[in-house]
Amino acid sequence: MRLSSRGILRTAFTVALASVTLVPAPSLAQNASAPTGDQWIHVRVESKDDGGETVRVNVPVEMAEKILPVINHQNLHNGKVHIDSAHMEDVDLRALLDAVRSSKDGEYVTVQSKENDVRVAKSGGYLLIHVTDKSQGTTNSKSKNHQESKVEIKVPMKVVEALFSAGKDELDVVAALRALSTFGDTELVSVKDSENTVRVWIDSKNIAD
Amino acid sequence: MLFLAKAALGMAVALALSAAYVFHEGVIKVDVDEFKGDGSHIHLWVPATAVNLGLEVVPHRNLERAARQVQPFLPALRELAKELKKYPNAQLVDVKDQNEHVQIALVDGKIQIDVVDPQEIIHVRVPVATLEDVADRLESNASTI
Repeated sequence: MRLSSRGILRTAFTVALASVTLVPAPSLAQNASAPTGDQWIHVRVESKDDGGETVRVNVPVEMAEKILPVINHQNLHNGKVHIDSAHMEDVDLRALLDAVRSSKDGEYVTVQSKENDVRVAKSGGYLLIHVTDKSQGTTNSKSKNHQESKVEIKVPMKVVEALFSAGKDELDVVAALRALSTFGDTELVSVKDSENTVRVWIDSKNIAD
Repeated sequence: MLFLAKAALGMAVALALSAAYVFHEGVIKVDVDEFKGDGSHIHLWVPATAVNLGLEVVPHRNLERAARQVQPFLPALRELAKELKKYPNAQLVDVKDQNEHVQIALVDGKIQIDVVDPQEIIHVRVPVATLEDVADRLESNASTI
């Protein structure tokens, strides 16, 4: 009788242990397999209007690389965006890119006018595009809300090359993401105007700052 | 006496194993609170396994119809679920304005969707594994169409 009770207790203990081990197994496995050192793309949009809308999106680059190829919608197919050549206005982007890639660092375009300042440059392996729209808010130029609209884009040249590595009239977004994931923390896009602030950047944190 | 003890142990074992099986994929949680006059208040806790069992008993033609409607999105859903399993807790989307706050997050292997606005509060938690199972199941039905 005593031996049987001990056996029963042992069996009960084993079953209880198995149950406790089995139930949280998936969540433990997920945490254990969480990749480290992954790059995340962050998008933050802040509206300065009365509603004060804020949008924050954080997506792992690797996840975007895997998902984009299986989405086939409108111009996006197999991770590539088809560009309608009619919208290119006879500009051979590929030739333009080749010219920029093979050139030394420097300022390629500088436009200064009453309405806009535009600067396109290549520096330290990055393509830099800065646009300042001075016309915005001129009607309220005396008010405190007057502010120029500034767009700053900083893209690694390797990413631009990857983007244009697909066939003619196509942008290879997946290849660009793959190239992007090899870079460290990078500020990609920054837009500031009187109504919105937009930031797109990449880093290894899974939360926006 | 010994017989009763063995029977009780048998039942306990069966219960423990059933509970372990039913909850091994986690729980789907849905909370909806509407604040209008006759607003509904829904609070659901469903074992994720029930979804798989439910898909087994749903009439084949209904499953085919559902699969046909969502077919273009199934590969993306399956891939998304597969990828999400690899990542730690993270805030994926956060949209906030004066009235509304929408959050989509990954919390302990579950997709958590929270919507808070003056009219209603919605909280949904679905295990990522369930999303993958549903996508697989629907995709296999879509392939028979």
